[in-house]
Amino acid sequence: MFQVRPNEPDYALLKDPSSQTLNRYGKSIETAPEGDALRAQNFVINGEACAQQNPNRYKQHGFYFNADNCIACHACEAACSEKNDNPAHIAFRSVGFVEGGTYPNYQRLNISMACNHCDDPVCLKGCPTRAYTKFAEYGAVLQDPDICFGCGYCTWVCPYNAPQLDPVKGQVSKCNMCVDRLEVGLKPACVSACLGKALDFGVIENIPEGRSQAKTVIPGFPSPDITHPNIRFQQTRATQRDMVRVDSTPVKYHKDDGSGTFTPVLDPKHDFQREWNWAKLLGSHENAHIVFTLAAQTAMGAFLLLSVGAWLGLESIVAFIGSAAYLPAVVALIALMSFGLFKLNMHLGKPMRFYRGFNNWRLSPVSREIAGVSLFFGGLAGYGFFSVFPSFPFAELLKPAATVAGLLGLSFGGYYMIKLYRIPARPFWNHWQTGASFIAAGLGLGALFLALFAAGFNSLTPELTQMLASLIMFALLLEGVGLLAHARDLRGQGEEGDASFYEQTTTFGNPYWLRNGLLGLSLTLALGIVATGNSMLFAPMALTLLATAIIGRALFYVLVIPTTMPGAFFWRNKGFVEHARETGLANMPQLGVVPDRH
Amino acid sequence: MLFGRSKKNPIKIADKGIVEWKYAACGYCSTGCSIEVGLNAEGKPVSSRGVADADVNRGKLCLKGIFEHELFTSAGRGLQPLMRDKWHDAWQPSTWDATLDKLHDEIRRIQAEHGPDSFAIISTGQMLTEEFYTLGKLTRGLIGTNNYDGNTTLCMSSAVSGYKRSFGSDGPPGCYEDFEHTGCLIAWGSNLPEQHPIIYWRMKEAQEKTGFPLIVVDPRVTMLAQNAHIHLAITPGTDVVLMNAMMHVIFKENLHDQRYINANTNGIEALRAEVEKYDPVTASKICGIDEDTIRVVARTFAKASAAMQIWTMGINQSTHGSDGVVGINNLALITGNIGKPGGTSLSITGQCNAMGTREWSSCSGLPGFRYLEYPEHREEVGKFWNVDPEFFPKKRGMLQTDIYQAMEAGQIKGLWLIATNPMSSLPNTARIRKAMEQLEFCCVQDCYQDTESAQYAHVYLPAGTWAEKDGVMTNTERRINRITPITPPPGEAKPDLWVFNRVAERFNKDGRVTFPERAGDIFLEMGQLSKGRLADISGMNHELIEKSRGIQWPYTADQVERGEAPPKGGKRLYTVDGVFSYPDGRAKLIPLPFIDNNEVPDEKFPVWLNTGRLIEHWHGRTKTGKIGNNNKYSPIPFIEINPDLALELGIQRGEYVRMVSRRGDAVAMAMPTQRVPKNMVFLPFHFHDCANRLTLGLLDPHSRQPAYKQSAIRIERIADQVAAAKLSMEMRKF
Repeated sequence: MFQVRPNEPDYALLKDPSSQTLNRYGKSIETAPEGDALRAQNFVINGEACAQQNPNRYKQHGFYFNADNCIACHACEAACSEKNDNPAHIAFRSVGFVEGGTYPNYQRLNISMACNHCDDPVCLKGCPTRAYTKFAEYGAVLQDPDICFGCGYCTWVCPYNAPQLDPVKGQVSKCNMCVDRLEVGLKPACVSACLGKALDFGVIENIPEGRSQAKTVIPGFPSPDITHPNIRFQQTRATQRDMVRVDSTPVKYHKDDGSGTFTPVLDPKHDFQREWNWAKLLGSHENAHIVFTLAAQTAMGAFLLLSVGAWLGLESIVAFIGSAAYLPAVVALIALMSFGLFKLNMHLGKPMRFYRGFNNWRLSPVSREIAGVSLFFGGLAGYGFFSVFPSFPFAELLKPAATVAGLLGLSFGGYYMIKLYRIPARPFWNHWQTGASFIAAGLGLGALFLALFAAGFNSLTPELTQMLASLIMFALLLEGVGLLAHARDLRGQGEEGDASFYEQTTTFGNPYWLRNGLLGLSLTLALGIVATGNSMLFAPMALTLLATAIIGRALFYVLVIPTTMPGAFFWRNKGFVEHARETGLANMPQLGVVPDRH
Repeated sequence: MLFGRSKKNPIKIADKGIVEWKYAACGYCSTGCSIEVGLNAEGKPVSSRGVADADVNRGKLCLKGIFEHELFTSAGRGLQPLMRDKWHDAWQPSTWDATLDKLHDEIRRIQAEHGPDSFAIISTGQMLTEEFYTLGKLTRGLIGTNNYDGNTTLCMSSAVSGYKRSFGSDGPPGCYEDFEHTGCLIAWGSNLPEQHPIIYWRMKEAQEKTGFPLIVVDPRVTMLAQNAHIHLAITPGTDVVLMNAMMHVIFKENLHDQRYINANTNGIEALRAEVEKYDPVTASKICGIDEDTIRVVARTFAKASAAMQIWTMGINQSTHGSDGVVGINNLALITGNIGKPGGTSLSITGQCNAMGTREWSSCSGLPGFRYLEYPEHREEVGKFWNVDPEFFPKKRGMLQTDIYQAMEAGQIKGLWLIATNPMSSLPNTARIRKAMEQLEFCCVQDCYQDTESAQYAHVYLPAGTWAEKDGVMTNTERRINRITPITPPPGEAKPDLWVFNRVAERFNKDGRVTFPERAGDIFLEMGQLSKGRLADISGMNHELIEKSRGIQWPYTADQVERGEAPPKGGKRLYTVDGVFSYPDGRAKLIPLPFIDNNEVPDEKFPVWLNTGRLIEHWHGRTKTGKIGNNNKYSPIPFIEINPDLALELGIQRGEYVRMVSRRGDAVAMAMPTQRVPKNMVFLPFHFHDCANRLTLGLLDPHSRQPAYKQSAIRIERIADQVAAAKLSMEMRKF
């Protein structure tokens, strides 16, 4: 039980004598009606069941932020980190800011943000391990680091940067709403510490004393449509037309004169110089995903060709299966898939907890992907096993069963592999091009894989050549059309997707054009093979196609700019974090940036 | 509603296992917040929180106070005394006896060879008052050097000097409660939200209730300036001109308080004659504030029911620092805004116990705001201490800044440096380095062994820090508050008081002068000495101070006898007519002619260098640089540079730039922002080997405080960013 002092100051006490019935999205503010089973379950904090003292315990609570008043004194962040015993590189609450105007008509708008304990908690839905729970008590969305295996997917989907992935501990933790303080009638530590009279807390939709607004948006805050966050704002002071982010993200927020609301637009912060930046491109934390997705998609594509091709009785495939290339190719597919899964698993903060990935199959696309891919892997392994040992008892029954399982896993896992990237808070990914690109990689690399094995074992027939080259050509066209549509739909359309395109043509401008060139070259080579039947062209194409895929996938991960909270100049600035890691500043103690462990 | 699982997950929230809370006043700034430090079952300090019933902070703390318990275990603490022959030799572990004997012998040797004043003692604003008093008694009464000062010369000396010139004594007359009564607040070069966040909160609380107009004078658009009703983006170093022009308008429009002036001041004619020259049109050309705004501000100020002025380093750290303070006092005096609720001129002090050193350290004279220049004061204190009054110098010696210039010129041969780090904090580091290099003997007494100044020391004495010690401190509103020893100093480190008493034993072989061992007893001795003085503390003792969460002085033995409990707050000075500290009870109105001796930007060095503080750091960063949850908000030095200037120079956001002044150069990361004008950059001063490589630091003629905030530099783009990053990193230990 949180120890209350007999003389707690008035500002620290919760005050919600009354509340509304429904919130602005039509959701009941009471989280569990009287007599609900949820109320009968104990509310246990640190092993201690708490008897209900707070009369508003079963109402949705939320933070209130007066943007007119915040002075960026960091007291809220400090109080939070002190209470939760967080090291410098982890913060459940952070203050960032945007600024605008011209000296001395300059304006800085500070934003202190923690978890918004959303009506629609995308973190909870995304988490594959079911580490998240939205409690009936206060409507708090709480996460249990002891369940988490550190995949970081919640940090991708949350628009507010609330879940904190700790590279040292390999797990996520986040704001717990100070429910221990709420239980004894105290506001959260951050609110009680506020020195600017900016931060407050209470039953949602209640406006604190002396405040007049309960807005859902301020400049720099992502659209509330994604999650229906439980935070309300006051922001009465006139703002500049453009409020610019001071972190490295090339985004500013532009005012719509009609509605007075702000939308993110491109802010080309570092000119239009085209650069390479190979180290950043290929050395990112996400490179395990590059390996896994490409490996899995190659294996899926090749398996699809082999299995469906055989069932359809395609001569070229049947001939391949009958050739010396077949068994080595199948074994290699299993090895490739194993390697991809290994890389994916080792990228987890806690690889030993991999089995928890299925836990949230009801809600999480990640769980479903893992389930599907596992089924596919099992099917592929079975298919391989019975191909190598065709005389195994019941092999003639079990091999088709394994094939069916593999195909089911492939469709299910493949679908969710795409689906999990369709994140509203990540506009660069949330486009059909993601699917097109993944399918294209599967077909193109799968076909190339078979072609190389066939060639290696002298089994590359002209029919197989024609078929595989046509498939590759189709895949490349699909990828190309997707890229064009992606560019058409995102570029110049504002929002963070536009900023991603800016980075694509500047910071990673050279790899981007190299990839485009290689894509064109691969397409030409595929066309050449189809037109001339010259299978020797598969050799150069292996290089161009693979390079296209790797650079393309690396760009996919490195370019995504999430719809998220603006940072400050050092703290919560991705650019400074990268700089600190590159230069070795991160090795100094007390810097607030730890070296990347992956 | 319960998403995710049908059964509630157990909730785990960090529990630090606190079994006991111990009391202290905060050891960072001079706001004087009361802190409780939580100790776990092993007695380790693991948490800090604001004391709920303390009038100053009412349960709040800023981010530095919230992590203050981490200080005890921070890196770089000194664990044993060290000694070496030459400063460039390696340190040898030593003992307290050997190092203190050495200190004693070297002081006496140097004094014998070069005269008593050739050995200097420089202390701080961050020790406890009993320690200051003891060091003062030791220095003035036994060692006998007149070159004894504190680093408060770098922050508060202009305020001290201005108060003395106007009112006849140091001592800020107002209190925090004044915010609740004021009808107008002018903040001169003070950025409360960043520098004194708790005072800002008190101000904001009051302002939300009464809505008084806030006027901010600052060349930079700070958060306070941005939130002000009127922001005066003044040309650096020209405050006195603006003050004179405001007085010009006040007199011209008959808005002054003639009754108050007649009853309380001398010198009105000379003042009126001088400000007559500063009509708003003339003034606007110098200070950069248009004539209409000057008039509006003067009227708003003079017509307010009660008007309050606060200031910090924007005024003090200037060649007109003392004059600026006098100007503020002039404005207050001619409008009758001293000693009344909401009407005051309140210097917002820097260090936690800058006030304590002003009152009790004997740096600028003798304890209790007594002067060496007054024979009766020498007599009184000499008798009280059992020291021959003739042993005292008849006149104050040099201040810290002058001591360093004398050191450079070879007049000072030995130095005892206590809890201050001039290698980081004095202007023009190159000259400081040279001065330190040629010392015959230097003793550094500090809680951190890695303080930059220790590199030139022959003896290092490991001291306790903050609440490893016992005693009191005085805050900005003259409130004396208690520090209890929460945890013992690490290793062989000892409280400064213990060190002073051991040194005193060596100079006091005949036992003539008494040096009480307990801080509580020393405080009672100080109380005796304070009787009848402005800062009368004779009614207080350690226990009462802690119980009251600090007591504002004066609180006298007479009040105790009358059964008056110490007031919670709201105590002011000069509340009735004719009680100022000059012998005739009148304050002085002093005319302030303006001479522009600033290093103004020119063709070669076209940019103003403005230096200042960040909320997350404390002074030389020796403390906050080691606490991740403070340091992370600005781990390396940066400049605020106007984006238009950055564009012209080809500098991009996040690139390192080179700054060059007539003194040297420095490297920092560029943060383009319209917070500063195109001809100015703002550079935080906290970082070692950075701002003070550039600053000129011309000295104020009265206070000898350096003008850190007005230097001229040029900015250069650095082509090799990798090398610049490496260089910048090499200069940061933390």
